[in-house]
Amino acid sequence: MTPLIYSQNLSLSIGTKKLIENISFSVNAGDYLCILGPNGAGKSSLLKALMGILPVANGKLHINNQSITTFSQKQLAQIISYVPQVSGRQLPFTVLEFVKMGRYPFHSALSDWQPADQQAVDKAFEITNTRQFSDRLMQTLSGGECQRVMIAAALCQQSPVLLLDEPTSFLDPHHQVEVHRLIRTLNQQHNITIIEVSHDINHASQHSKQVLALKDGQALWQGDAADFLDGKRLYTLYDQDFVFLDHPQTGAKIALPDEHL
Amino acid sequence: MKPSLRLTLITIFGIATILISPMLGLDAQVSADIQQKIMSEIRIPRVLFAFVAGSGLALCGMVFQAMFHNPLATPFTLGVASGASLGAAIYVSLGLSFSFLGINGTSFAAFSGALLAISIVYSISRFRQGFSTETLLLTGVAISFFFSSLILFTQYISNVTDSFRILRWLMGELSIIGYRDLMQLLPFVTFCTAVILWLGRELNLLMAGDDIAISRGVAVKQIRYILFFTTSLCVGAIVALCGPIGFIGMMVPHICRLIIGTDHRWLTPATLMFGGGFLVVCDTISRLIIAPAEIPVGVITTLLGGPFFLWLLIRSRSRS
Repeated sequence: MTPLIYSQNLSLSIGTKKLIENISFSVNAGDYLCILGPNGAGKSSLLKALMGILPVANGKLHINNQSITTFSQKQLAQIISYVPQVSGRQLPFTVLEFVKMGRYPFHSALSDWQPADQQAVDKAFEITNTRQFSDRLMQTLSGGECQRVMIAAALCQQSPVLLLDEPTSFLDPHHQVEVHRLIRTLNQQHNITIIEVSHDINHASQHSKQVLALKDGQALWQGDAADFLDGKRLYTLYDQDFVFLDHPQTGAKIALPDEHL
Repeated sequence: MKPSLRLTLITIFGIATILISPMLGLDAQVSADIQQKIMSEIRIPRVLFAFVAGSGLALCGMVFQAMFHNPLATPFTLGVASGASLGAAIYVSLGLSFSFLGINGTSFAAFSGALLAISIVYSISRFRQGFSTETLLLTGVAISFFFSSLILFTQYISNVTDSFRILRWLMGELSIIGYRDLMQLLPFVTFCTAVILWLGRELNLLMAGDDIAISRGVAVKQIRYILFFTTSLCVGAIVALCGPIGFIGMMVPHICRLIIGTDHRWLTPATLMFGGGFLVVCDTISRLIIAPAEIPVGVITTLLGGPFFLWLLIRSRSRS
């Protein structure tokens, strides 16, 4: 099977600053890939390259066996959608207006709103359970609600791939679980390929299928999520010792930072 | 109230200003013949010109505010208008005179100045790591000052007549407008309006931020270049004909957003109508306030705009 997304010796940079160097990885259809790594490792940059926000400086980045540079931005938006990091920017729209904007890639300036568009919006509201917010202004939503609406807007693009940049970083534990569950549903029931940037190593190892660990713009490790938690590997990645224990309910291996001085 | 109703009210306001303004301040002493002549040859073209110029300035302001997600970002604060002014001032002081396709050379000079200014401002703010609106605004202000001093320099080395011409024109005035000027301006503003209407959905998405706009499929870079080019053309044409009339592009779109919301499918026509009506009102005031003398309309808009700018600044501070 040819992978849905693959990169070979991919490098990214802004001006003279190198963000990513010589990364090769691949993602198959239906995968759930977590990108982990310390701050500044280039995780978000990699997502931005996949979304066409950052240009490829060197190497290959292919989607559906085609170089990403051959897609127009609209074509790309029909394959990949993106939930950016929480920016704190006020969005001056109602939830419905914002979610409907997800249909942009399917329209030209003169085309009308079609039944298919309405279906996509309805389905996105249903999956994310956000219809009740549709008349509210975006800035009145709480963190968890806002994140679900952001995901709903991305789902309107009906793209087979969804990118998420630290979707749970600013959420309380309850809403973290809620958003994680939603992402798993998208992956398992709706067969959407997920690429998620995260800092939560236990979530990554338990819930995702693949892990890509980045450090200083280079790929340190890629493999099955279940094999990821390893003391030595975590130490190299984060410069931090971890202790391990088993989850009392699921029996899964859990890593905790070693706070012993 | 529905947006369609609000838009209708704004449209009524805009058209009402065109209908009422020419009648105000007509000297009852002169004969009906002369009144007729004043109306058809002076007042009506002037009001129409004010309306078209006001619409153009307001629309360009709206585009900049949407592109840079900041109500303070307008062609004036980002130095585009001073670039256009400098272009036109140099054209006047060099004593150049040419026209191309029926369009006056001043317009080309002003357009080049506007394009130069926005290119400098945009490339400087992009050059720094992590493009921010604050950098953009500060660069715009700096370029504005720099160009203003170049205008003063140009004015200083010109002869007395040209120097006075430049000075009067810099204050922004509509008093010597005829049908010819209206015809010079109309194609630019029409073109600009058409482009902005066409790109309404893109402007909506740009307001959500560049990353979101790109991920929805907007080719942000190209759209931005198209809009830079179009607005420079529009601002250049307006500034060349009636001088830099400030603050319309800041006040009008902001007020319209408060009235009708942020969706550009409604906001663009509302801004068009309100901007036109607003400048007609300002021009009428400038014509009547010390009649029979006139003050340049730019003085009126700036007198209104200064406090408005401060209000925006204080409001955005207290919010964040």
